[in-house]
Amino acid sequence: MISAAKIIAALERHGITHVLGVPDNGSCVLYERLWEHDTIEVILTSREGEAYGLASGLYLGGAHPLVLIQNTGFLEAGDALRGTAYNMGIPLVMLVGYRGYATMAPGAPRVDTAATFFEPTLKAWNIPYTAMHTDDDCGQIDDAFAKAQETSLPTAVLLVAETA
Amino acid sequence: MLDKYTCLAKLAAKRTDEVVVTTMSVAMPWAAHSDGPLDFAHVESAMGHAADFALGLAIAQPERRVLCINGDGSTLMSLGVLVTLAQRPAPNLTIVITENGTYEVTGSQPVPGAAFIDYEQICRGAGLQRVYTIDTDDDFDAKLDQHFAEEGPVVFIWKIAPATEPVPKPALPILERAQRLRTALVGES
Repeated sequence: MISAAKIIAALERHGITHVLGVPDNGSCVLYERLWEHDTIEVILTSREGEAYGLASGLYLGGAHPLVLIQNTGFLEAGDALRGTAYNMGIPLVMLVGYRGYATMAPGAPRVDTAATFFEPTLKAWNIPYTAMHTDDDCGQIDDAFAKAQETSLPTAVLLVAETA
Repeated sequence: MLDKYTCLAKLAAKRTDEVVVTTMSVAMPWAAHSDGPLDFAHVESAMGHAADFALGLAIAQPERRVLCINGDGSTLMSLGVLVTLAQRPAPNLTIVITENGTYEVTGSQPVPGAAFIDYEQICRGAGLQRVYTIDTDDDFDAKLDQHFAEEGPVVFIWKIAPATEPVPKPALPILERAQRLRTALVGES
């Protein structure tokens, strides 16, 4: 499990004003905590691609958005990410749930292709990323913000465990 | 049926310091009137995502009107955004759907459902309350000021005649357009 409180503390450190995306089983606790937050506004989108368009507009208008989605939605949103945040040079951090990670273990009875396609796609799309497994990895979020600012490009932190 | 070029000329004549986001077959005709820091051609970009991009701008800049001149094909690509617009309303956001029934810049192929689709019904069904379909010059003139002043989100569906615009080619690359817009809005790129 990854602490939602620690993730939110990281978002607060970096002045995040808006979290955009679609909840999933792994992020639902994080979303619930964010809905209670005083200064971070959650905007649910109908589909993950909208989150990238919305985030890009927010950033260019002076806000500080973050995208919170699952890897399935990331795959769906490919052209939206490319055509907005990537092409527009938005230093956007995205937290992306890693559905199916465990199914890639040797001997697992069933492989989830959302997982098998995930990291190769991140690499193909030039999205730098790290993977958070536990609370000890929370510093990766700070690193992602630094990387995004350094490159003026989107950066991902993969949430391997569910939030709690 | 409206003429797109006449409508854009009238809109441009009224425009002051609003952000104007354009797409596809409107991008270059609009640029002929105005191509400054507050004009953003959402092309070479993600099809279907001009409206959510405009929503982001409107939320971040609540004191400034944002107009998004979208196409019917673009709208159809991301219909869910109409619900997103309704559930997170931005009072300073105007959406125009230029309905000509075609994918104009690729050779005017028909947009799916062009013969029967009703964008006003779709918008209202998505929860948007201020939705106007305009198909005469007199009605356009009567509603022109509302594009800038009506509480948003407000949607105007322009029933326009098909035309033959080519693939838009803005003067600046999208990265520079984005940086220019941010500098104009925030003072930094």
